Amino acid sequence: MKKKLLVVEDEKNLCVLYKEELTEEGYNVTTVMDADTALALIKKKKFDLVITDIRMPVKNGIDLITQIMALRKDIPIIINTAYQSYKHDFMTWAADAYIVKSASLEELKSKIKELVG
Amino acid sequence: MIERHNFFIREFPAGTPKELQLFSIIAQSFFQPFSLVDNLLVILTALTAGSGLGFNRAMLFLADGDKLRGEFWLGPASVSEADSIWRVLSTPGMGYLEIIEHNRSLLTSDADSLTKRVKKISYAIHQEDALIPASATSSQEIILVKDARNEPLVDSRFQEIIDVDEFLCIPLLAQKEVLGEIVLDNAITRQPIQSRDIELASICGLMAGNYVYTSKLQKRVVDMKRVAAIGEMAMFVTHQLRNPLVMIGGFADQLLDPKTTKKKRKRNLLIIRNEIRRLERILLRLARFLRIDIKQMIPVNIQEMFKLVVNALKPRADRAKVTITTEVENGLSTILCDPIHMGEALRNVTDNALDALPDGGEIQLSAYREGEGWAVISVRDTGKGIPEAIKDRIFETLVSTKEQGMGLGLAYVKKVVDACGGRIEVESKEGKGTTFKLHLKAGERGT
Repeated sequence: MKKKLLVVEDEKNLCVLYKEELTEEGYNVTTVMDADTALALIKKKKFDLVITDIRMPVKNGIDLITQIMALRKDIPIIINTAYQSYKHDFMTWAADAYIVKSASLEELKSKIKELVG
Repeated sequence: MIERHNFFIREFPAGTPKELQLFSIIAQSFFQPFSLVDNLLVILTALTAGSGLGFNRAMLFLADGDKLRGEFWLGPASVSEADSIWRVLSTPGMGYLEIIEHNRSLLTSDADSLTKRVKKISYAIHQEDALIPASATSSQEIILVKDARNEPLVDSRFQEIIDVDEFLCIPLLAQKEVLGEIVLDNAITRQPIQSRDIELASICGLMAGNYVYTSKLQKRVVDMKRVAAIGEMAMFVTHQLRNPLVMIGGFADQLLDPKTTKKKRKRNLLIIRNEIRRLERILLRLARFLRIDIKQMIPVNIQEMFKLVVNALKPRADRAKVTITTEVENGLSTILCDPIHMGEALRNVTDNALDALPDGGEIQLSAYREGEGWAVISVRDTGKGIPEAIKDRIFETLVSTKEQGMGLGLAYVKKVVDACGGRIEVESKEGKGTTFKLHLKAGERGT
């Protein structure tokens, strides 16, 4: 059974890139461009891992994490952001990993492998 | 019963002691938006104004590192010039603003030979064997020199320039820091310097010292803020660059994979090219923002500027079904500004108005007079308005309501308006629209 990943990312082409690259790694990848759509999906379906950006219009990634926790869903979460500084934000501690976006996807891929296999 | 009084006194009732007038003028000048040199000019003017204290001439030195440099020298160059200056200064109703204006014109005119002479001198301070005038600054003491021509402690080069027997050196001090020196004399009237004159001049010296000190601190604060802003900007840019870099890197890696199909290769190349263009746009916006350097303030025709802005935005406005109208009040034709930056700023504000009207609407550019010598350029739209939550912060750098906005546009506009000596304000109601008002100096007076 392929592991199911949910990627929350507001840039369309980044969604395309993540979807292709992570599918290539053997995962079943769903991408959404905002936190509310992500929440609605999490309520309906079971995911093995959520990868979320922080800075997004409407609702940010930290609010998303808080709400996932409120749903008592035990899903590992990777924060994948351009911002180094949110690392000190209390709520980002709730995530299982904090990755600063880079031109190489290796760190992201190895972190996913570590968390879901 | 209460009585209210104004801080700012423009005319003193007859019989007001000279000292009180003098201190009042100096204290009031600190509240004026004058430059450092202008304010020191006020103090020196007060000390030398014919109707002021006893001094005829005042020379100012400012400390610059470990050097004391001649800044300006105020006073008549000859007896006949003294007569005419003092006549002007004792004209009834002559306020401190007029006196400064008069003295400033003296400083900048070519005929001002005194300042030219003093600008050439500089002395090392903090030297044990320093001669007068530098030694007053070094020892932080007021020094009255009598029979200067026979005084070995007076620098002979300085004696040649000042060419009087008696003069007074007042160092400008604050918090143990030496900031400069004032040298006063009575070259024209040849009156001996009295102890009362020394006391008053010393108070003026303390005030001037404190003023220079405050200005220096203020400048330091501004510099610190600038450094902080640059740091914040650097952080922000790092983040702005990251998403494009992830895409360029990621899609380029795919290109290197021989399994990648031809169709996908083409798509990747297009994405990479677009992201590179995005990087370039980020850099351009940043460069423009960092390079605001107002070089010239000239009267700029408002009608023409409106026309350029409208022409630049017409294609976009037509697509969005937005009509842009312009209106300039009769008799108002120009504003004083830097034409390139102000045009760009106005284009920016109008561009924002277009952003607020995705479903069509109206933008009105208008210009009208406001009070004496001022004009308002207003940009009004019927768009969605600015969210209440960020209304107070829209002119700050890095604040934006737009997804790919860098928060530089309005910060740029404000910087330009400020640099042109104006101010900007915004009125906005969510769902109703927004009006930006740029208050600027009109290019012509009284028309």
